[in-house]
Amino acid sequence: MPDIRVSHMAKTFADVSVLHDIDFEVKDGEFFTLLGPSGCGKSTTLNCIAGLEDPTEGSIAIGDRALVDRAKRVYVPTEERNLGMVFQSYALWPHMTIKKNLAFPLNIRKAGRADRDARIHEALQKVGLAHLQNRYPHQLSGGQQQRVALARALVYSPTVLLLDEPLSNLDAKLREQARAWLKRLQSDLGITTLYVTHDQDEALTLSDRIAVMFDGVMTQIGSPRDIYEHPATAAVAAFVGSCNFLLGTVEQLRAGHVDVRLQATGTTVSIATDADWLPGAPVTVAVRPERLAIVAQEPGSRDLNVLDTEVVTTAYVGSRYEYILRLGDIALQVVSPDGSLRGAVRLVFGPGDAHVFPGESGPSTEALDLMKVAV
Amino acid sequence: MTTLTDAPDTAASDRSQTFPAPKYLRVFGVGRDRVVQYAVLVVVALFVVAPIAPILYQSIRSKPLYDASGVFTVDAYVKLFTEAGFGQVILNTAMFAVLTTFLTLLFAIPMAVLVVRTKLPFGRVLATSMQWPFFVSSLLLGFGWIALYGPAGFISVEVQRLVGFVPWNLYSIPGMALTEAVGLAPIAYVFCANALRQSDASLESAAQVCGSGPLRILFRIIVPLLRPPIVYASVLIFSMSIETLSVPLLYGTPVRIEVFSTFLYTHGLQSIRPDYGVLASASTIILCVTIATVAVQAKVLKNAQRFVSVRGKATRPRRLDLGWLKWVATILIVIYVVFGAALPILGLVLRSFTLIFTPLQSPLKSLTLQNYQTVFTYQSYVQSIVNSVVIAVVGAIVVSALALIAVVVAKRSTFRFARAVEYLALAPQAVPGIIVGIGFFWAFAILPGGNLIQGTLVAVIIAFGLRAMPTAFGSISPALMQIATELDNAGRVVGADWVGVFTRILRKLLVPAFAGALLLVFVTMLKEYSAALFLSSANSNVIGTTMLELWVQGNTGSVAALATIQIAITAVVVGLASLLMKEKKDA
Repeated sequence: MPDIRVSHMAKTFADVSVLHDIDFEVKDGEFFTLLGPSGCGKSTTLNCIAGLEDPTEGSIAIGDRALVDRAKRVYVPTEERNLGMVFQSYALWPHMTIKKNLAFPLNIRKAGRADRDARIHEALQKVGLAHLQNRYPHQLSGGQQQRVALARALVYSPTVLLLDEPLSNLDAKLREQARAWLKRLQSDLGITTLYVTHDQDEALTLSDRIAVMFDGVMTQIGSPRDIYEHPATAAVAAFVGSCNFLLGTVEQLRAGHVDVRLQATGTTVSIATDADWLPGAPVTVAVRPERLAIVAQEPGSRDLNVLDTEVVTTAYVGSRYEYILRLGDIALQVVSPDGSLRGAVRLVFGPGDAHVFPGESGPSTEALDLMKVAV
Repeated sequence: MTTLTDAPDTAASDRSQTFPAPKYLRVFGVGRDRVVQYAVLVVVALFVVAPIAPILYQSIRSKPLYDASGVFTVDAYVKLFTEAGFGQVILNTAMFAVLTTFLTLLFAIPMAVLVVRTKLPFGRVLATSMQWPFFVSSLLLGFGWIALYGPAGFISVEVQRLVGFVPWNLYSIPGMALTEAVGLAPIAYVFCANALRQSDASLESAAQVCGSGPLRILFRIIVPLLRPPIVYASVLIFSMSIETLSVPLLYGTPVRIEVFSTFLYTHGLQSIRPDYGVLASASTIILCVTIATVAVQAKVLKNAQRFVSVRGKATRPRRLDLGWLKWVATILIVIYVVFGAALPILGLVLRSFTLIFTPLQSPLKSLTLQNYQTVFTYQSYVQSIVNSVVIAVVGAIVVSALALIAVVVAKRSTFRFARAVEYLALAPQAVPGIIVGIGFFWAFAILPGGNLIQGTLVAVIIAFGLRAMPTAFGSISPALMQIATELDNAGRVVGADWVGVFTRILRKLLVPAFAGALLLVFVTMLKEYSAALFLSSANSNVIGTTMLELWVQGNTGSVAALATIQIAITAVVVGLASLLMKEKKDA
């Protein structure tokens, strides 16, 4: 299975630039996900690889075959790229039976009758739907349609598999199962896969690596663990998982730590960091809700940071309780198995549990407004 | 779902057996996709340019086109306004068009609101009968109105007998406008009715929750929301009444009221030595006016679409109850349907079975088939009926097929001239039928090989086809827009080129739209005649031109017989087609 290489790809519509210098590589057999909010350019990137859109600059290659190279005026049309793709709406042709849907690409490739039927059967068996091959798409459930779409994308053994939010039209429960199934199918086939989604859970559970995109820029590429544990920017931290953001200013730098005075309380917290920070610079401290521990008394260790807060609301979400706590004039999100917390609550977190980002970055101003606690 | 337990069976997969990527032939980098797309562009462009170019050229030549000794001059334009009196024609046309538009809206808007949004007795019957006049050409409507309300018409004579005078004069601009408005009202009605059906029910529910009664909701919410379709319909009606020929020809000729189209008719066909310069310059000016109105139309529609928000799950609005007012409304609508369309057509049919049609003698006393005998004894009359059917059938197939490909090129291709194809396909709606006729007549006269086509059915099919092109395009295009582009993309990704996606996916999915276009073009071409006035020879007459011929001869009985035959053909075809489509849908 070949790899996908996208180099310095850019795309502009009229005057609007939708992709800037997109540069990444999907390794042989890898499950690679483009993750980002809607309008970030992830689908445009996928469509450029599929040939459904035309990048303005850069090059795309699969294995040693150049599909697009603007500099050398190379452009292979979609139909000659030999890719498999599953669309968000599945795009099963409604006037053909399942079998005919799968036969279509094989007929174009002039497969022999016996070979064709064997391949169709095999592809449908992979997705567990061999018994439904004479049905029409509208006679199938959403989950079955999604699997047929996958079988159609695989039946002609394409070089790579492109998936454009294929699970987003399924019910929440079914989506979880389909996710696990898809992951196993992909690793069994070992096909190089490029997956597009805006759902962070999907990206984290399915991918070998994830590229997070915002506004046409690839902000971070890394393993799911990398992305979650070491977000490159506050935006990544906010988009992948939930996160609390505390504004503050740098007080001092010492031995791999930075001390930040928080705007909300005036207290100082210490965060582990490799970077250099200028004293007095405005920064944002990001800490995930599950990293904030709730303690009753004074903490034993002096290394831990302490936040004194007050319970505003409690929400029961089944497996745990979600609390909104007041810290000065801002709200913090914390989770706990204990639903009985009331009044004053003390939170602690270690220097390694939080991240520091420059400036007043983080969530949008609208989100910040919502987080302000009315006094 | 038990997918979790189905382990994917990969034992059988044999990945060594991959296919090479599909390859398509390209000559100098041009694949068959582009060839087809350019072919469509050229055909559509030729189609539109062929009739217009000779007219523009002739209008600035001193001698007829075929006479090489002519020079460039603007004499024709000068002559048009001095000797030919074109100024008065412009004035008449403007008055006629404005009055027609006003009356059409006066009929259509209240009826659309009442039928679609209020509880009316027999509401569904009224809704369908509102659309009858669409299937009857305005030529037939004109004949029918003259038979009833003309100076010697059935009702006029009856009124004369009762009150001693006839309080109206059909042969006047208001008379023309009234008849034309009855004929065009269904179009405006359909626009408003569709907009009303799609409007968001929650807007009204919100008003109701705030405490508004039905009448307040009607005038404060429903009618103001109709502004976009009203504006669009009025521009459309205005441009249609500028180019219409039938009613002004029938009513205006006896009393010498000339509008654009009748001016061309009298100067081109009725004068012994037609002045080509005057004809061409008048056509050019008319073209400028119609193109301007169509341009306004396009602009208005573009803006209108911003207002109309069609939501997938829009709930059907509830109908308002107007109380006793609904009976008044019903009676008004019945009067329109009965006196505007039903009685004139009925009168026309009755006339075809009688020798004299007057209230002074019961028509049932002189029942006869003689009118039909006259029609069927003359070979050329029979020929014109056959011609009409052949033209409508062949034309429907050819035009719908061309429109189908043009729609797909315009809406679903990366072709550089996709927009140009769309504009060209829609452009003929700016060209009045009679000008299409003049243009093709000259085009066939000067083009090499044109004399082979001149005067044949092919010439008539080409001219009528041009007229019907926008109708076909307009009826297929929305159907294509409903088909998700992902279906095309899926076809491309698995290895079909653009032609493959068209022939194996889109064409199949567009079958119902294509059938609809066939029917629509058939009806349109069966009604059409104005473009044939210049083009047809004795062998290629159509029902419409034969009717006009007989009308001029004063043979109204045979006209009525031909009209009845045309209505019967339309009714049978439309009836059969809707039965067929219904069956298809049930299956």
